[in-house]
Amino acid sequence: MTVSTQVKQTLASLKGVRATLETFASIEENREAKAILSRNAERIKQVIRDIDQRVGVLEYEEPQYKGF
Amino acid sequence: MPEWLNILIRSTGLFALTLFLVRLMGKRQTSRLTFFDLVTVIVIGVTAAAISLNLVQNLAGGLIALAVWTLFPALIYVLAIKYKAVRDIIQGREAILINHGKVLEDKLMEARMTPEDLLSQLRKKNVFNFADVEFAVLEPTGEVSVLLKKDKQPATAKTLNIDVGRESVPQTVMLDGIIMDEPLAAMGLNRKWLHTELEKAGVAPENVFIAQVDSTGQLYLDLFDDAIQVPKPKTKDLVFATLKKCQADCELYALGTQQPEAKKMYERCSGVLSEIIGEIGPLLKR
Repeated sequence: MTVSTQVKQTLASLKGVRATLETFASIEENREAKAILSRNAERIKQVIRDIDQRVGVLEYEEPQYKGF
Repeated sequence: MPEWLNILIRSTGLFALTLFLVRLMGKRQTSRLTFFDLVTVIVIGVTAAAISLNLVQNLAGGLIALAVWTLFPALIYVLAIKYKAVRDIIQGREAILINHGKVLEDKLMEARMTPEDLLSQLRKKNVFNFADVEFAVLEPTGEVSVLLKKDKQPATAKTLNIDVGRESVPQTVMLDGIIMDEPLAAMGLNRKWLHTELEKAGVAPENVFIAQVDSTGQLYLDLFDDAIQVPKPKTKDLVFATLKKCQADCELYALGTQQPEAKKMYERCSGVLSEIIGEIGPLLKR
């Protein structure tokens, strides 16, 4: 497995986590817990953006592994 | 009038009368009888028995005694609610038996308690070593309340400095195989959601005895058929584990990469993720 695929896997996992947290946040009744969940989902979004950029760079460097 | 008829009439009448008079005295928990309560109850009982067995020749006199012994306590209870002084006299005051870990012998004497009594009362509170007690009070009802020393108290999340998730009440959405629409609606869910979740768990709706939903929408089930093992909802644990894995991955990439810029980015990501894990962990663990 190349680095680029590994990073892509991590990226996919993070996206999954973010989606789940957002689901929890939307169902959660407790306002405090809801705030924590949605705030952290937002922070994960930042991380996803960073790693997504890195994937772009990696794909540029190793065009033979472009795609999934 | 024959003797037996007299007793029959008196007993029936008194039965109704005492029932009424006792109600008049108000509802006090029998488990919390003070000494005064006990005396009143016994006097009422004995008087009523004596009258109904025709031991008291003067019926009016007997009834007067009964009335006094029920009305006076009733009056005093009302006064006790209003005035602290009355309360202290009739209910007695609590006596401090152990203070700062030292047994107060004179208070023990005042309460007519032997050291054995004290030890046995402490044992009832699961305290076998009197040195563990910081403070103990003899309540007016004769029970001993115990405050343990700080280091002997059971550990709580606060003393252990653990952050715990906020517990919200789970809603019971199914009972006896019947779907309860009201709690479902209160959670912002509907029957379709429930059917989907049941299908995910591989359970027929009519097989469900109890189903509860926690605040994050996780479904907990108990089935009629106890031979079937219901999978516990794992989403929360999974999310937590995945987050940890991603954080470890980022650290690994940071170590692996040659470019300083990428290294910095990965390190930052790993830092943010571990912060998120710290904040969100208590909510995901239960």
